[in-house]
Parts: sequence; structure tokens; C-alpha cells
Amino acid sequence: MSPLLVGALLFCAMLVLMAVRVPIAIAMFVPGALGYIALSGTLPLLSHLKGALYARFSVYDLSVIPLFLLMGQFATQGGLSRSLFKAAASFVGHFRGGLAMAAILACAAFGAICGSSVATAATVTQVALPEMRAYNYSGRLATATLAAGGTLGILIPPSVVLVVYAILTEQNIAKLFAAAMIPGIIATIGYLITIGVVVRRHPEQGPATQRHSWSERLTTLRGVWPVVAIFFVVFGGIYGGVFTPTEGAAVGAVSTFVAGIATRELDLAGMKRAFLATAETSGMIFMIFVGADMLNSALALSQLPAALADTVAHLGIHPVLVVAAILVFYVLLGCVMDELSMILLTIPVLFPSVMGLDLYGLNPTEKAIWFGILVLMVVEIGLIAPPVGLNVYVVNGLAKDVPMSETYKGVMPFLASDAVRVTLLVLFPAISLWLVRLMG
Amino acid sequence: MSADAATPAPRGSLARAAELFAYAGGAIFVVIAILSVGSIVSRALFAKPLQGDYELVQYAGAVFVSLCLPLTQLRRANIIVDFFTVKSKPSTRAWLDAFGAFLLAFVMAVLAWRLVAGTISMREAGETTTILGWPLWHAYAAMVPGVLLTSLLAVQGAIGDVREALR
Repeated sequence: MSPLLVGALLFCAMLVLMAVRVPIAIAMFVPGALGYIALSGTLPLLSHLKGALYARFSVYDLSVIPLFLLMGQFATQGGLSRSLFKAAASFVGHFRGGLAMAAILACAAFGAICGSSVATAATVTQVALPEMRAYNYSGRLATATLAAGGTLGILIPPSVVLVVYAILTEQNIAKLFAAAMIPGIIATIGYLITIGVVVRRHPEQGPATQRHSWSERLTTLRGVWPVVAIFFVVFGGIYGGVFTPTEGAAVGAVSTFVAGIATRELDLAGMKRAFLATAETSGMIFMIFVGADMLNSALALSQLPAALADTVAHLGIHPVLVVAAILVFYVLLGCVMDELSMILLTIPVLFPSVMGLDLYGLNPTEKAIWFGILVLMVVEIGLIAPPVGLNVYVVNGLAKDVPMSETYKGVMPFLASDAVRVTLLVLFPAISLWLVRLMG
Repeated sequence: MSADAATPAPRGSLARAAELFAYAGGAIFVVIAILSVGSIVSRALFAKPLQGDYELVQYAGAVFVSLCLPLTQLRRANIIVDFFTVKSKPSTRAWLDAFGAFLLAFVMAVLAWRLVAGTISMREAGETTTILGWPLWHAYAAMVPGVLLTSLLAVQGAIGDVREALR
């Protein structure tokens, strides 16, 4: 059997195992291990496995993930989302659809200290949903806003997805975070415009609330400064080269903890929940790493990624079209898979192909960063698109009176805004790369 | 996709152990976080970093992750694709979940076995971390309990799934 055929068979076996509910990590590990035996032998596999776990779990850059998770958990349990929403609502609540806009702004701000989409959606929903419903916002607009807003959690750095991409492709995490900044702001503006358009056509979906005086507004800002301070210290330090992303995340976790204690929102029960949730999610992420590592070792032995890259390079199709096709593939895959598994599974296979293309004459680093931002944007779409948008599940689970189909209908305009943004980013790499180039 | 939360987390000594492991991991991580902050402060004030802070994060990070794995399994938080089985019978789903959990238990058992073998090799080779000079086999050995407990919890979970399927 030729190595390439083994590689293809591995992939098929993995898909079958995934379809029958085998945990994704194991569905990748088992075919990977069998492929390794077929291509290299049993003894080499057993010897490879001796050090595999330590080698993966002890990667310095990866420890940034649990630390950012812990930071997000402290922020969640510490009730920081409430002050963010209150402040945003006092500024824009009096516009038509203003509370929904405030929810988006709160999500964006929360996303700046939390790297998880689901956590952002859940925590902002708890404070914003009751408020929107009290002011007669339609369930459709309210839930869809929160599901879409949650994606700002991963679009705006820190972002667990970007960290994983950085490690897989050996790119600089700080540069990727910088590259995500402007696209994240564009996403926020796009969502605000979307809400504006929706309530213009359906004013009854998002009625205006009372206007707040400037003194009231300034008072609400008091609750916001911890978030602003943490963000500037953590990212100022990382971008300024004062500390590594891991150290930055440690600073973030410690300062979010202190902020939670200072506002008296974070109690012992909250801390326990934060630790257990961090452990649970860390375990989940690293399990996928273990499975993907095994599969990718076998795939590398089969030379499948190199062969694919070679084929793609000689297809004679315009390189930008190839990238567009890959992005569409991600959107489709996102319908059935979660974002991290998707990236861990596909980046090692597809990344060499992308790097082999001439894209706008970008140098390899710029190409890798630009592609990373595009991937981040499209995997996020899977979180809110039917049939299984995880964010939609989470928000809808908290809004018992709103049917799931209503939320999905409401999500459509936001998806349109996503599509426009992704198109812009594909056509103009400078949007992502401008800040990176500025950093030098 | 979703985490399979249909079956409530079983109680018992294995479950308690999983939570204890997670808290122990959390404690390790708090130490890592505080030491990292300490290293930054020391660099800023005295222009010298803590010796071997990188190594410490790597060493402790590996043990931390191994201690998280049991809780993930206990709460059935390992991601599965449920897209193709949403409409199948609950008993079919339970059988498939039992299969998945058994497979996971087997893989984790093999990994635990190889980790023990790795511990022995590392000890014989006398490998240490570069700056701190900590023996690597200590970290290897410290990872075994977490991986083993994950395997045991998966067996327990699989048995629970079979019971569910037969009900």
C-alpha cells in the first residue's frame, strides 16, 4: 500500500469514527496510531508514545491557554460583564435598538479580556437578555445579537483559536493578536450597523429606552475601568515586548482575580467554579491536541500534506480563489465540527498548500498571519450558523421563551455582515497586516 | 458538535478523585501565574529574571494538564460530533457512547503504560531540565495518575452507558 493511500484511508477512518460519536480526540488518535504502525512499525510507535504526552503538555506557549481561560473565568464569575453592559447602555440605550448595540459593545469589551466565544455569549446574555426583554425587544433580535456578539470573544484578542493556530504554524502569538485587532473592531462596527439596519426595517423589534444624563454616564464608567486597565496592561506588555504572551496571560489572570475580589463579586464558590471550568476546558483542548498530534504524525509520514500542496500549487487556479475555496470548506466543516478540532485537524494538512501559493506577493510570515485571521473569521461563523451553532445553543438555553428557529432567523443578518467582512479581509490583506507592519 | 451532557456526572470515589486532581492542578497553576508575575517584577526592578522560569512553566504545565484530563472525562466534556446521530434512538446513542468511552479508556491506558516506560527511560538516562537541573522523570511520573484516572473514569462511564442502553 502506498503511503499516500494510507494517508487517505486514515482520513476516512477518522471521519467514520467521528460520525458515530467517538470523542473527536480519540477519532483522530486511533487511525493515527494505526497509520503510524502501517508506515513505520509498532516499536517506533511505542517508543514515540513514551515522550508524546510530556512533549505536548510542556510546550511553553501552550500554557497561555489555561491562563487565558482562567482570566476569562475570573472575569465571568467576577461579574465584569454587568458593569460593561450598564455603561454601554447608558451611552447608546436611547437609540432605537440601542440595548442590542450596548450588548454588542459589552461583548466586544468582554472579548478583550476573555478568549472564549461561548463564555462571552453566556455571561453577557445573563445581564443583557433580561434588560432587553424588559424593554420589549423581540426574542429574535435579542438572542441573535447575543449569539453573534459572543463571537467577538474569539475575534478580539486574546483568542484561544489564534493561540492554537500560532503554535501549529510556528507564528508569533503577539503578531497574530495585533493582526486580529482591526478585523475585530470592524466586526463590532459591522454588527452595530446590522442592528441599525434591522431596527430600521422592523422598529418594533428594538424600541428605544430613556436617555441618560452625562453625569449618569460618567458614573457607570467607574465600573468599566478595571477591564480597560487589565486590557492595556496585558496587551501593552505583550505588544511592547515587556513580557511573553504566557506572562501576559498570568498578569491578566492575577489582575482579573484582584478586580473580582475588589468589586466583591468573586466569592469562594465563584472561585471554585472558575477553577473547575478552567480544568475542564483545558483538559478538553489538550485531549484534542493529543489526538491531532497522533494523526498528524502519521499524515506527515504518509507525505499527504506535501503531495496535496504540490497538487494545489500546480492546479493553475488563481491563488486567491484557492484561499476562497478553503474558507468555504471551513464554513461547511463548521456546520458539524467545533472550531478547535477543525483547526487542529486541517491546518497541518492545508497550511503547506497555502504557503506554496503566491498571494499578493506577501512574504511567508505575512501570508501566514493573514491566512490565520481569515481562518479565525470563518471558523467563528460555525458558532452561529445552523444546524449546530454552539453560541445559539448557549444563548437560546438561557432564553427559554424564544424558539431556536427565531434565533436562527435573527442570526441571518449578522451572518451577512460576517460574509462582507471576510470578503474585505480576503481582498485587502492590509487590513490585517497594517498593525503588524507598524509593530515592525 | 457538543459536549455530551445527557448523562449526569456519576458520583463516587473516582469522581471525587477527579475533582481533587483538578483542584491540585488549579493550585499548581496559581503558583505558575504568581511566579510569572514575580519574574516580570524581578526583571523590571532588579533587571534580572527568576532563574529557569520558562522551564518551571513547562515542567509544571505538563503536570497541570494531566491533572485536568480526569475532570474533562468525568463531565463528559470531550467534544463529539452529534450531527449525524441527533435523530437516532437514545439506546443507539448510548451504545455508541459506550463504544467511544471504551476506546478512550483503551487509548488512555496505553498512554499511561507508555508514560511509565518513559519515566523509566528518563530515570535511566538521568535527563534533567537545563537550568534548574530538575530530573525529567519526576514530571513524567507525576503525569501517570491523571492519565490513569482518566482511563478508569472512561471505563466507569462506558459501563454507565451500557446500563443506560439496556434500560
